[in-house]
Amino acid sequence: MSHFGSDESLNTDRPAQAHAFADAVVADRELPTELVQLGDLSLRAKRPRISRQTPRVSLIVVLPEHHVVSPDRLAERLRGHEDQEIDIVVACAGQPTNLGALQRSIGEAQFILAPAGTSVEDLRELAMRQVPGDIVTLLSGGLLQEAGATAEMSMSS
Amino acid sequence: MVPRRALSVIVAVRNNAPTLVRVLTAILSSNLPRDRYELIVVDDCSTDGSPELAARYADTIVRLTGRKSGAAYARNRGAEIAQTDVLAFVDADAMVQPDTLQRMLMMLSDRSSIDAVCAGHHEDCEPMNLVSQYRNLLLRFGERREHGTNGNVGSPCAAIRREAFLSAGMYDEWRFETTPVEGIEFGTRLSEAGREVFCSKDLQVTLLRRWSLRAFCVEVCHRSALVARSLGYQRARRAVPGDLVFTLSRPGAPVFAALCVAAFSAAFVPRLEVSLAIAVVILGAITLNLREYVYFAKVRGIAFAIAVTPLHFFMQAVSGLGLCAGWVLRDMFGDRAPDAATQAYAEVGVDTWPPVPRAPNIAVTAGR
Repeated sequence: MSHFGSDESLNTDRPAQAHAFADAVVADRELPTELVQLGDLSLRAKRPRISRQTPRVSLIVVLPEHHVVSPDRLAERLRGHEDQEIDIVVACAGQPTNLGALQRSIGEAQFILAPAGTSVEDLRELAMRQVPGDIVTLLSGGLLQEAGATAEMSMSS
Repeated sequence: MVPRRALSVIVAVRNNAPTLVRVLTAILSSNLPRDRYELIVVDDCSTDGSPELAARYADTIVRLTGRKSGAAYARNRGAEIAQTDVLAFVDADAMVQPDTLQRMLMMLSDRSSIDAVCAGHHEDCEPMNLVSQYRNLLLRFGERREHGTNGNVGSPCAAIRREAFLSAGMYDEWRFETTPVEGIEFGTRLSEAGREVFCSKDLQVTLLRRWSLRAFCVEVCHRSALVARSLGYQRARRAVPGDLVFTLSRPGAPVFAALCVAAFSAAFVPRLEVSLAIAVVILGAITLNLREYVYFAKVRGIAFAIAVTPLHFFMQAVSGLGLCAGWVLRDMFGDRAPDAATQAYAEVGVDTWPPVPRAPNIAVTAGR
């Protein structure tokens, strides 16, 4: 390979070479999953590096301790994007009182229950290690109203 | 009613964890209300946990996988998902002042003729070693001298109208995948497209990166070579006169001429002492750089100005060598291009994520 743009490698049979290179690059990207660690919490963030045509989108909803979010509102925000591949992670500090309702309304979401008292920043970092997305939108529970609009924008991009 | 965001702050990062938290905290500490901007961090394949750290503060994280793609590529990906009409690109080692972003936004809002606003370097940078201080003041000197309208989008913090950014073809991720001149190149294109870029010496950021002599030499040499090889010295200098390369190389030709005259005289006039000739050359070089030294002395004192004098000569020589190398490379091999695999990928036209680097939409031709 020539990094400085000499054109000797592209002189002959360019289409065949191009396809061969493209295949080689695709094969090179199909690597095994990687392990990410957070302090003394060993967490696997499975991000298989497979070739995709579009970015994988993840949405992290952060619920601080004693924060209650309406399951209906959350589900309503996400309902318009059921046809899209989107990973939803709800990170909670402590167990929310309406956890069951939340799980029923957004069944496909992954819930992370961190110890009570975990800060919003730590929840965000924790959740970030769990999501596989190439584009990750982070929403805090208090901003959920705005969050819906943001998520829509990111998901449609 | 959700207030409409006015600004997308985009930070491209690669293994900048030590400085990233402070950079993002500084952005969040801005006078600009939090609901007026979105914070996007684009991670260029970091291995030090930068995206997880960024997640503590940012609204959106874009993770690029595979191999390092460079700042131009990462910023372009951030711009593609930005939702506002103004994009602010902040380096991952540059701390904005509390009023920087707000004032940039106000300038763009008040003056419709301006398409981009660039902040300069604060006279104080955080690392206290001589090379970092010298580099920072050298950049600051160029910015003060060229304050006003020019195309220096190579600034560590620049706000650009989204429409101007897109119509100018975004950063050149095709040729400058791993090099630091994407800002100069983009500024040159903006300037040639008739877009107005305003560089304000009153808008400032503080640099956090510590520079070693070796790293600075590599940067100056690489930067100079690319300016000569890919951008065209005269063309880039017209558009971005305040850049480091031009501040260093401006007195280069007269100094070289004086050196030649002294050597010529020494060869043909036996009585002329060689040391006298050298003294004359050094005196000439100091005279030609007098403005820089006066500025250094004003800001850091005479001792600092004297201490950096040999360093300044040395960096001018490095810059000169880089420029010469760039011209030679251009004559021998032509302009830069991405590696063969990237070219092949682009030629095949495979849709993939992360996307294959693209050439800017606007044709760029470099001339000397």
